[in-house]
Amino acid sequence: MLFNSLSFVVFLVIVLALYYLKLFSWTNKKRMLLFASYVFYGLWNPPLVILLWISTMVDWIAGNKLAKEENQKNRNLWLLLSMSVNLGFLAFFKYGNFLLENFTALVNSIDIYYHPQKMDIILPMGISFYTFQTMSYTIDMYNRKTERAKTFLDFALYVTFFPQLVAGPIVRAGDLISQFYEEKKATVNQFIWGLFLLTIGLFQKVVMADTLLADTADTVFGSEKVLNFWDAWSGTLAFSGQIFFDFAGYSTCAIGIALMLGMVLPDNFRYPYAALGFSDLWNRWHITLSSWLRDYLYIPLGGNRFGVTRMYAALMITMLLGGLWHGAAWTFMVWGGLHGVYLILEKLQKRYIPFKITVWNGMFLAFVTFTCVNFTWVFFRAREFKTAWNMITSMLFLNADGEKILQSFDIIKVCVVVGLMFICHWFMRNTSLKEVSLKTSPWVLGIVWAFMFLLIAIAQGSGEQFIYFQF
Amino acid sequence: MYLKQSLIIAFTLSIISLGAWELYWRTQGFYPTLDDNESLWSVQRSRVEKANNLDVVLIGSSRVLFDIQLDEWENETGKRPIQLACVGSSPLPVFHDLVEKTDFKGTILVGVTPGLFFSTTFPKAQPWEWPQSRVDYYYNRTYAQRLNHTLSMPLQENFAFLSEDEGVDGLKLKELVGKIKIGDRVFDPMPPFHEFGEIAKDRNLKMKEITVTDTAYANSIKKVWMFFGKGAPPPDKKSTMAFFLADLKKFKARGGKVILVRCPSSGGVRMGENMGLPRNQFYDDLVQQAQVKSYHFEDYEQFKNLECPEWSHLSATDAQFFTTELVKIMIKDGALTNYKTN
Repeated sequence: MLFNSLSFVVFLVIVLALYYLKLFSWTNKKRMLLFASYVFYGLWNPPLVILLWISTMVDWIAGNKLAKEENQKNRNLWLLLSMSVNLGFLAFFKYGNFLLENFTALVNSIDIYYHPQKMDIILPMGISFYTFQTMSYTIDMYNRKTERAKTFLDFALYVTFFPQLVAGPIVRAGDLISQFYEEKKATVNQFIWGLFLLTIGLFQKVVMADTLLADTADTVFGSEKVLNFWDAWSGTLAFSGQIFFDFAGYSTCAIGIALMLGMVLPDNFRYPYAALGFSDLWNRWHITLSSWLRDYLYIPLGGNRFGVTRMYAALMITMLLGGLWHGAAWTFMVWGGLHGVYLILEKLQKRYIPFKITVWNGMFLAFVTFTCVNFTWVFFRAREFKTAWNMITSMLFLNADGEKILQSFDIIKVCVVVGLMFICHWFMRNTSLKEVSLKTSPWVLGIVWAFMFLLIAIAQGSGEQFIYFQF
Repeated sequence: MYLKQSLIIAFTLSIISLGAWELYWRTQGFYPTLDDNESLWSVQRSRVEKANNLDVVLIGSSRVLFDIQLDEWENETGKRPIQLACVGSSPLPVFHDLVEKTDFKGTILVGVTPGLFFSTTFPKAQPWEWPQSRVDYYYNRTYAQRLNHTLSMPLQENFAFLSEDEGVDGLKLKELVGKIKIGDRVFDPMPPFHEFGEIAKDRNLKMKEITVTDTAYANSIKKVWMFFGKGAPPPDKKSTMAFFLADLKKFKARGGKVILVRCPSSGGVRMGENMGLPRNQFYDDLVQQAQVKSYHFEDYEQFKNLECPEWSHLSATDAQFFTTELVKIMIKDGALTNYKTN
């Protein structure tokens, strides 16, 4: 089920009504939330709920065993079981065809004739999110960093909690399970703020991403022509804005819905396009994934504990795998690799040519960071290297005779929307929506809220999927 | 933080502004209509699963949608047909789906619009891709999508501003923004295209009255047909015929009946069809090889002089007449049965 759909509106009203009517005890309310979460997921493809159940069961059992087991060898085996099942699901459902294609190419390159049929595999929605979330529980149990979930119901709800099930934020067990132990009820202000966040999230998704930017990005990246400078940049900037509004919109909706139920989810985006460098970017973009990769991949790979070379290697491997997490294609690896290179260059700069950041060079640095990020988005969005290469060369003025495919207004529209987004991120980079709203008159807030609602209604989103559902 | 106050202001302003928005479009001549989208099509497609040998399924392009009126058909036969025709589409993908994926053994009426029937079997070509995308949607639609469609129907029936129409008649924010033009950086040869039909829940479609009464409106649509006519690729008679005849053979073998119908066209469209896809080389050859009942409007005195307001589809009144007369002819000919008890 999508947040930007009528069925979700009805679903949410029913869930909130059952949650706040004094019909159930807290345990039964949690059962209702769990059932609702399965309905939320199952309305997309019912049989794939089984994967959720398996993932839940395996990590519940592994977590219980790890809580009691003292023998290190057995502890390793329980961790291995959890990792094998979760990563196995990912490997089969997400990377099955990618692995097969590359294996085929490899054996064909050494003159072995092998041409298997492509497997007809459905990618379960949000599989990368919930497998990472359940794995974090087991790994934390293994490292004795979190308490065992008190009941199976609490754990199952942690894995399946519908607001963040399919596209995050990826929540750590310690941050969410403990919220289920005692009855939660949003205060009036929390509930209204949650509703406001839900409106902002939908506005970002339906109006900004789908209505104002998606078509331009699709037109440019769908074109097989070598494009003009302006068209290539417009398409890239449009995608840059689209993916931010799409994904940040989802996270904002998720945080808002959880808050309406009295639960607090962590921030996933903090105005990332005003980042001053790439370390800053990854502290602001998809925060829960970057912290997951840092804690469960970069640090176990050695982090910065074993010298500079090892640190750079760990950084590069983390970013490459982070790229692969987003999709089963070499273009995603290049995207991750570019971010790895940027991070290494930034660390070198900080070591050898450090400088103080002021307001003026800060804005320039943010602009340079944003520009570099745009080049990485080309590889993220292009389905083939040829398209990506054509785009990059056009963006670097190397295709003087590139074709024009966008109307002038499309280019102006993208520049205005993305320009405003960048300025907004810059002014908001050291504050939060909550802080700004506290300083805003209730009239202004009400008018802005109504305006966003009106535009959502006029935009009539036709239920476009969120981009990150496929990851 | 005065969030309660903000919520009340937002709620009040939202109601007022949405009401004003709806009112504005109504004053501009818009009124609530249903969207002929893949969900609406899928609801009808799902009826085929429960259809029996007495049922009739209509497939083809927009001419079958405009020209065959379900009420008149039901009046004459006692049975309401299932409308699966799609605008701008070849009937072949839908026919293929009915033959291959169902065990339907009733009657399929296939509308033969020569420019579309004989157009292509290439999966990425528009006349194929459009109907195929509906077939694919039918099989892949989720329960959530079904629920969304059900919930959207009362809204579509009551609000004019809720419309999936594209182009000049589009009211969605994306369409409104898309109408803004600055300069002519990229030449767009496509003339403005007005929506000229209104569809009902069962996909019975009628031509909008304005198409009949407003010559300028009808002329704008004629320009679109001329644009498509000039840019149309050459027909692929060999592939399309072979594809259709293979499915037809299979369908006939399990006891199914097919009726071919060539609906009226007039003016420039008819002239173009006669030049590019002459009847004797295309339609007649198809009929001869298919060996099924067939009805060409030119063969019947009462249809010969029907005028299409925009050269390609009948007005609602003429479509009612055409359906009534056509069904009578088909019943008389034994192609259809009258199931009315009285």
